[in-house]
Amino acid sequence: MKRIISQCIKELAQFRRDRLTLALAILLPIATLFIYGYAIRLETKDIPIVIQDFSMTPLSRSYVEQLFSTNKFAATPRIGKAEVASAIDRGIAKAAIIIPPDFDREIKNNKTSTIQVLIDGTDANNARVIQNNIKATSQAFLRSSQLQPSNNNVVTRTRLWFNPGRKESLYIVPGVFGVILWIFPSLLAAIAMVREKERGTILQVYASSLTAAELLLGKLLAYFLIGIAQAIFVIILGAILFQISLVAEPSSFIIGTLLFLTNSVMFGLMIGTRANSQNAAVQGVATAGFTTALLLSGFIYPLSNIPFPLSLISNVLPARYYIELSRDAFVRGTGWLGIWYAPIVLFLTFLFLFNVARRNLSRMQLPD
Amino acid sequence: MSQYIIENADFRMQNPSNNLVIEVAELYKKYGKLTAVRGVNFAVQRGEIFGLIGPDGAGKTTTFHILAGVMEASAGDVWVLGKIPRNARLGIGYLTQQFSLYLDLSIDENLRYSAGLREVSNELFMQRRAKYLQLMGLEKFGDRLAGQLSGGMKQKLALCCALVSQPEILLLDEPTTGVDPVSRREFWDILATLANEGTTIVVATPYLDEAERCSRIALMYDGEIHQIGTLKELRESLGLQRLEVRTNDLQTAEKVLLRAIANSPNIADVQTFGDRLDVLVNNVATGKSQVEEIFHHHNLAINSIESEEATLENVFVTRLRQQGSDPPFVPFPKSKSSHSQSDIAIGAYDLQKIFGNFAAVKGVTLEIKYGEIYGLLGANGAGKTTTIKMLCGLLEASNGKIYLGGKTSNLRSKELRRRIGYMSQKFTLYDDLSILQNLQFYCGVYGVPRRSRKQKIDWVLETCGLAGQENLITGQLPGGWKQRVAFGASVMHEPNILFLDEPTSGVDPLARRQFWRFINEFARQGTAILVTTHYLEEAEQCNRMGFMVAGEVVIQGSPSEIKAQQPGELIELVTNSTQAASDLLKTELESWRVSIFGDRLHIVLDRPKTELPEIRSFLQNAEINVQSVRTIPFSLEDAFIGTVQRAQQKV
Repeated sequence: MKRIISQCIKELAQFRRDRLTLALAILLPIATLFIYGYAIRLETKDIPIVIQDFSMTPLSRSYVEQLFSTNKFAATPRIGKAEVASAIDRGIAKAAIIIPPDFDREIKNNKTSTIQVLIDGTDANNARVIQNNIKATSQAFLRSSQLQPSNNNVVTRTRLWFNPGRKESLYIVPGVFGVILWIFPSLLAAIAMVREKERGTILQVYASSLTAAELLLGKLLAYFLIGIAQAIFVIILGAILFQISLVAEPSSFIIGTLLFLTNSVMFGLMIGTRANSQNAAVQGVATAGFTTALLLSGFIYPLSNIPFPLSLISNVLPARYYIELSRDAFVRGTGWLGIWYAPIVLFLTFLFLFNVARRNLSRMQLPD
Repeated sequence: MSQYIIENADFRMQNPSNNLVIEVAELYKKYGKLTAVRGVNFAVQRGEIFGLIGPDGAGKTTTFHILAGVMEASAGDVWVLGKIPRNARLGIGYLTQQFSLYLDLSIDENLRYSAGLREVSNELFMQRRAKYLQLMGLEKFGDRLAGQLSGGMKQKLALCCALVSQPEILLLDEPTTGVDPVSRREFWDILATLANEGTTIVVATPYLDEAERCSRIALMYDGEIHQIGTLKELRESLGLQRLEVRTNDLQTAEKVLLRAIANSPNIADVQTFGDRLDVLVNNVATGKSQVEEIFHHHNLAINSIESEEATLENVFVTRLRQQGSDPPFVPFPKSKSSHSQSDIAIGAYDLQKIFGNFAAVKGVTLEIKYGEIYGLLGANGAGKTTTIKMLCGLLEASNGKIYLGGKTSNLRSKELRRRIGYMSQKFTLYDDLSILQNLQFYCGVYGVPRRSRKQKIDWVLETCGLAGQENLITGQLPGGWKQRVAFGASVMHEPNILFLDEPTSGVDPLARRQFWRFINEFARQGTAILVTTHYLEEAEQCNRMGFMVAGEVVIQGSPSEIKAQQPGELIELVTNSTQAASDLLKTELESWRVSIFGDRLHIVLDRPKTELPEIRSFLQNAEINVQSVRTIPFSLEDAFIGTVQRAQQKV
């Protein structure tokens, strides 16, 4: 135990000395919090569309009004007499709506009037959003103008739980916590591990009778403490900036955060035991850690969308479980009841990472 | 298998009467196809200083790794303190070749961490910390970061860290590489003290003058130990005597003597030093007459011939030559015509450099002619590297005048740079490029004409013994080899002014001789050479030299002049208790004046006539028996240490 403590004190002293890592440990997480917190917006608003109304009747105008009233679309002024289609070609508009001259007449005669909608399909996702929106608006327009008898039997009454105002930061920010606390503690730990190899000081460690477990636990303890400081800092700052607050009883979140930090540090150490240069360690953490935490953790893309072999990875990703925990704490608020499995999984993944790292170091000797 | 070893280990532990603390039998180590150590046998007794010397890549570091338990042997038995090395780790202190310190931690933090790793109780730690920091003279610097210490202080601190757990065995892998002579001597004095207290020391060093201070020395070459013995035994087994021949025309003398080796079995080796030739002969009397005859035959005047004992370097070099590992001497393919000017190539007049409020160089004046080798010597931090950087235009001088290759300003101009070669202290090669790519890069940078590039690159590869291996990644080469390639890279464009900043640091003795043959060769062709080194034995090869202390050149001249200018005498003292005598005399005299060389003491006395009788009676009172006293000539190292210490006292 004394040797673990002594290892930990040494790591902290080194950390304190290195102004660069010290700055990175605080500044980079803040920068990440800002970028991800403010830049990621999944909801699309003010899509530019262009409208050519050949009908020019009160009815067609009220239809156009209805389109713009949702805030989904913004009108793009038509330039000259150019073809509507060319507005899409030139990228000025994402969609064009052409209302035929007989629009008013056909509807009043209870016939079907055809409106032409041209959509820029480059962004497939966006195109679908536009398509659905226009369809829905058209339905609503017919109903509201009493033109279509409402003979539907099924009526949906929707209520949004947990996030009634559909505040996007509530979805994004708890996820950002997971990404930040996965990347930065592991980056620092990986560098600390590999630096010993690069500078040759690892030989001194090998030459003492320190065991692999003691070495790992000593470093874990030091970077775990640093990680806690980062966590407190980032979570409080995030909560203030984006005006979110804990809605659940906090014990599951606190225990989950601590467990997640041990995972993160141990992941870094594991990469450090494998890599032989700081470059390789940073690359390793960036690709293996960052990419998976960003893409496979459910941070942005729903877990259910991840196809089969990749979905296996997301099942063992600590960041995934932490993001679930964090979203529960800030959005859902079910507490232990809904999220009891996450801390257990995090504990198991920690044990796994620890054993892999220890195996990498097991002989505490130079490789042949 | 491991079961067997552990049983055996217990068996050994039951025999404490055994005074052998390290036993190595038939040790092998293979890395893939390469066999680094092939069947090494040796044993070290308690309290011995056991020296391991050999060329780069001989397998010394591998042997140390195995003894320290950080690497597994491929085959063979290794017993350290009666156990397998891994189980004996708490009894071993290991200084690795790279600095084994955390440079971003303070002295105290480094010590405390080492103590923590090795389970030293707090009370014992404080006690030992005080003791060893005082012994190393570091007690004032507890809070200073290790990275801010000089090379010598770093190594002393590393030793301190190893000593904090009071290991029975110290393994030191080239602990003094890159450390200046003053600190080196202090370091070895400390080792002598430790050995006297019963610590067993195994040490590797490229400095053969240091190795002479070991109790026993093993010569290692190509993974095998070829000879083990005391300095005396090794000298006797060599059976050669050394003649120091002084003459005015060294160049011709060397040529004719080298020719004589072929037809005379008596003469074994000839080597030029700055102002003398060393001739190794089987028989002193016939050797002397032979040399005289040869000189007479060629109408050369001899100033003096003195016979001396062979040095360890003579032993080492002769043995390695017998193994056929002498690096080839391939004449440099010259494409420019040589100038034989006798003008001044490099001139510095009252050169100063001030960093903030620290004067790194204060008023250096020196002149170097074409064809001259000038050695700039000094302790770490004396300002040598700063001076060189100013002279070759890499650093702006704060004050003073520089004259370089006929120019006084615009020292970075393209034409001037083509005529200058600079090899810096740190490796100038790119570790992640292959050797060939590095050489091609430097050919391009220095504008070596395309048609002669291949020839030049082949020359470097051949002289380095790397022909056919040019696609190796440079980072994988041992330090000494990298230095050779770096040297080659810095002379490919045939500069007529050459700056070499510690070119031979960490290079083995044989390769160092080859280095100096090239340096001499270039000088003969008219190149002006400014070189710094920590090896004073090789500094003898400079035509002139200057000693720098705290930013000033305190003495200049040829090696003989400098030695002759030393005040006082150097006395060799043999007593029945070397260590006790040394401890005692150090209380009486300034500590630099006393040092232990194997079984004898060297003492510098300013007034030997009055001081010597005092010392005799002083030792007698302490019941130390003086067996012999004689005056010996100052070596350059003695001169250096004396000069530096006296100059520092004045400051």
